Amino acid sequence: MQAVILAAGEGRRLRPLTRSRPKALIPVGNRPLLDYVIDALLACGIREIIVVVGYRKEQVIRHLNTLDVSVEVVVQEKQLGTAHALLQAKDLIEGRFLVLPGDNFINSASIARIRDVKNAVLVKDHPYPSNFGVVVTKRGFVTRIVEKPALAPSFTISTGIFSLDPDFFSFIRENDMTDAVGAFTESGKKLRAVPADDWQDAVYPWDLLQMNQKLIPSAAPEKAGEVSGTCVIQGQVRIGKGSRVGPGTCIAGPVVIGPGCEIGPHACIMPFSSIGARVRIEPFTVVENAILMDDTEVGSHSRIKDTVIGEGVHLEDHVSTVTAAPLMEIQGEQIKGRFGAILGEKVRAGPFTTFEGAIVGNSVRIGGGSRIRSTMAYDDGGLVV
Amino acid sequence: MEGLRRLEYRGYDSFGIAVANDGITVKKKQGKISLGGADLSGIRGTMGIGHTRWATHGVPNDQNAHPHLDCLGKIAVVHNGIIENYAALKRELQDRGHIFSSETDTEVIPHLLEEAFHGDLAAAVEEVVPRLEGSYALLVIASGCPEMVAARKRSPLVIGVGDRAFLAASDVTPILEHTERVVYLEDGDVAAVSTKGIVIRQGEANVERPVKRIDWSLAEVKKGGFPHYMQKEIFEQPEVFSATIRTLRDEEMPRILEGIQGVTLVACGTSYHAALICRYLIEEHCSIPARVELASEFKYSTPPGGDIVIGVSQSGETADTLAAIEKARMHNHPTLAITNVLGSTVTRIADHTLYMRAGPEISVAATKSFIAELAVFFHLVDRLSGGKLEPVLGSGHLAIGEALLQDLSSAVELCRGARSMFFVGRGTFYPLALEGALKMKEITYIHAEGYAAGEIKHGPFALLSPETPVVALCPPGPAFPAMFSNIKEMKARGTPMVVIGAKENQELEEVSDVFIPLPEGGLVSHVLASTTLLQLLAYHTAVALGRDVDQPRNLAKSVTVE
Repeated sequence: MQAVILAAGEGRRLRPLTRSRPKALIPVGNRPLLDYVIDALLACGIREIIVVVGYRKEQVIRHLNTLDVSVEVVVQEKQLGTAHALLQAKDLIEGRFLVLPGDNFINSASIARIRDVKNAVLVKDHPYPSNFGVVVTKRGFVTRIVEKPALAPSFTISTGIFSLDPDFFSFIRENDMTDAVGAFTESGKKLRAVPADDWQDAVYPWDLLQMNQKLIPSAAPEKAGEVSGTCVIQGQVRIGKGSRVGPGTCIAGPVVIGPGCEIGPHACIMPFSSIGARVRIEPFTVVENAILMDDTEVGSHSRIKDTVIGEGVHLEDHVSTVTAAPLMEIQGEQIKGRFGAILGEKVRAGPFTTFEGAIVGNSVRIGGGSRIRSTMAYDDGGLVV
Repeated sequence: MEGLRRLEYRGYDSFGIAVANDGITVKKKQGKISLGGADLSGIRGTMGIGHTRWATHGVPNDQNAHPHLDCLGKIAVVHNGIIENYAALKRELQDRGHIFSSETDTEVIPHLLEEAFHGDLAAAVEEVVPRLEGSYALLVIASGCPEMVAARKRSPLVIGVGDRAFLAASDVTPILEHTERVVYLEDGDVAAVSTKGIVIRQGEANVERPVKRIDWSLAEVKKGGFPHYMQKEIFEQPEVFSATIRTLRDEEMPRILEGIQGVTLVACGTSYHAALICRYLIEEHCSIPARVELASEFKYSTPPGGDIVIGVSQSGETADTLAAIEKARMHNHPTLAITNVLGSTVTRIADHTLYMRAGPEISVAATKSFIAELAVFFHLVDRLSGGKLEPVLGSGHLAIGEALLQDLSSAVELCRGARSMFFVGRGTFYPLALEGALKMKEITYIHAEGYAAGEIKHGPFALLSPETPVVALCPPGPAFPAMFSNIKEMKARGTPMVVIGAKENQELEEVSDVFIPLPEGGLVSHVLASTTLLQLLAYHTAVALGRDVDQPRNLAKSVTVE
C-alpha cells in the first residue's frame, strides 16, 4: 500500500521557528515530526512512501536522505493547499492509498484502524475544534467538513489522515482538501469517519512542549557520551555520542540529549527537556520542560523553563525565563498560550536577560539586563538595547 | 549497466560491455549511458566487463569505444589509462599481420594477448604487461576461459568481493550496490578472478591483499530526491564540515608536522584554490612560509629543503598530484596527503594521510569536497598555531547553513545573460574569487575569470562593460576599504555588480546592483558562507541555462591521466 505524506507547508503559526525548515522538520524529542509519521507507517507495514515537499524543500530532501528508508519525493512548487499538494503525487498512485500530514503526531495503532478501510478519514474529538476541519457525521459517515469555522458544529475534527481510492483525484477542483472532500460526499460517495487512537497537532509554538512531553519517552535510553562519575542520573535518559556531562550534574528523565553536547559541570537538566546536537549548557544552569535545538549555548546560572529555543541561539549567563500566559496575536488571531520564551534562530541575549512569556524573532540581538515581555513584538533581525 | 552509469563521472563520451558466454558478445556505443543503454539488454553470460570512456587517443565514436578485441574476437579488454609506447607496439603488431579496427592505444593489448594466450589467461597477461609503458587498469576476458584477469599500474582498480560474485571497477561507487567488501590492487598486481576466488600475483610470487570494508551506504551515492547531485552535495556541506572537523579533532596530530620549517601545497583545480586559502592562513597564524604549486607544474620545480609537501586530491587518484608526491619523496621531503577516499593510491604513497569526511562526490564540479578540504586546512592551521582558530571552527557549519537559505534569483537573472564575467576579491577572498569563477565556467560555460581585485586595473579593466557582470567579494576585514573603492570604480564603468558583503552595510548595498548578505561571524564563517553562495550562484545559473549540471561537457571527475 502507498502512503502520501504532505510535508510542503511552512506552518506559519509556528513562526519564528520555521525560518529554515517547514513544520514537518521541527524537532520534538530530538527528532523531526516527520520521522514519527514515517515510523508509524513502517510499523504498519507500509513501505511505499511518497513525500510531497515544498517550503524549504532542500532541507526536507536532505533529511530524508539520512533515513534508512527510501522514499519517493514529489515537489509542490507553490504552497496552494493540501489537496493541491496531494495532486502532485497523482501520477505515482497505483491503488488505494493513505494521505497523512507530515507535521502532526500519529501513532501506528491509529493507522492500523484506517489502513484496510475503503474511503475513510481519521477523526478525533478536540476541546478547541475551531482551529481544524470540523467534521459532522451521521451513522459513522461524514456528511460535512467545515474548515476552521468560527462556530464549530461539533467537537469532532479531521486529523487530515485519509484512506482513499484513486478516483478521489477527480474531485479535487479547489486547492483545499476540505473542498475535495465536500465534492466527494456530495456526489453520493461514502466517507467513513474512523476515530483515531492517538493523534496530536502543534498549532502554536507552545503546543510543541506538550508534544515534546509525549514523545521524549519514546526515545530509547542510551548513554553514549562521557558521563562524569559524580553525576546523578535518574529516570529515562538518552545521551548522544560524543557528549560530555561534567561532574556534579543532575539529570532527571525523561530527557534526551543529542550528540556532541557539553553539559555542566553542576548543571541541572529536569524532566521533559529535549537538547539537540552540539548544545552547550554552562555550570549552575537549570533546564526544564524545554526544547533546545542544535548548536544552542546557554550561559551559567541561567534558568530555562517551558521554553522552545531555535538553532544557534546564544544566551549569556544569568538568563531566565518566567512562565506567563500572555494573550498573543498570531497570524491575525488573538490567542492565549502558556510558556516562558519562544526564541527564533540565532537570537543573542546578553547577561541577566529575562523573558516573560515572550516570542522573539530570528537573529534578534538583546542587550544585557533587558526584560523581554510578551506585550512587545520582536521581529526578525531586530535589536533590543 | 547501473554500475557503469555510476562510473560516468569518470568519462562519458562512449561506453560498451563484453560478456563471455560460448564466445564473446560485445556491444558498444558512442554517447552517454543515461541517454541510450537499452540495446545492451538481452546478453546472457556469467562474466562480463564494461567500460565508460573519456577519449585520450582517437575521437569518441563506436569503433573507439571499449571493450577492444583481438583479431579472432576471442579476447576482450577494457582499459583505463594511457599506453605510452602504443605506437611502437602497434607498428610491430601490424608488421606481424594483426589487423586493428580502432585508433585507440588500448587495442594493442588484446593483440599482444592473442600472441601470448595459450589457455592460461593470467599467465598471458603477466607476460604482456611488462611490455606496456604508461598507466593502466585492465580487465580481460577470453572465450572459453573461466577467469577474468585484472591488472593495474598507476591507474586505480578495485575488486569487490560479493557473496557469490566478484566485481572489478576503477572506483568503489559501482560496486557498493552489491557488496561493501573490496580489495584494492597495488601497482604491478595481476589478479585472476574466477568462481574459485581471487589469486593475486606480483611478478613471480603470489601475494595477499587485505579485504577492506567501505562504510559508505548506497543511499549516499544516490540523488535521493534532489534534481542534481551538485545541489545534493551543496546541501550536505554543513554536515560534511562539522563531521570533518569533529573526526580530525579526535585524532592525534601527525608526527611529521612537528617543528616544520615550511610547507609546500600541491593540488589541481578546486583543491588548488583550497590550498591557496590555506596559504594565507598558515602564513598569518603560524608564521611558517607556505607556497602553493599546481601539481602539474610541480614537476618543473623543486621545493626548498625542509619543506613538508602536502598533496590534496579528493579522489586520491589525480595523476598529477600522485606524481608530485612521488617526486617530493624522491627528494626526501616528508609528505602528507589530504584525500576523501580511504585506501586510494595517494594514501599508500604519502607518509601520512588526513581524511576529509565528504562521502562520495558524484557531481563533476567539486563542492562539498572543497568545503571538506577547507575544514582540513582550518584544522591544520589551528593545530600549527596552537589553537588560534578553535573557537570558530565549531560553528562553521551554521554559516554554511545560513548561506543555503539565501535567495539568489536576482543575481542569477543578472548572470544568465552574460557571455563573460569577472570574480574579484582580495586576500583570502582572492582564491575564493578564483573558485567562484571556476564553478561558473565549468557548469554554465560562461567565460568567467577570477582576479585579485587590485589587478583588475592592470588589464581586465579594458574588458568591463554593461554586458560583463562582476561578482565582488567584499566582507569586512583589512581589505574592505580597498575593495570598496575597487567596486565603486568598476560600477562607474557601468558594470553590473553582484556584491557579497556583510549585511546592514548601507554604502555597499547602494553601489551594488544585487547585494548578497553574509551571515555574522569572522573570517572562517565568511569564507565558508561565500563559498556556498558562489556554488549556488553557479548552480542556479546553470539550471536557468538548461546545462547538464552534473556532467559538464568535456570534463571528467577525477583526472587520472596527466
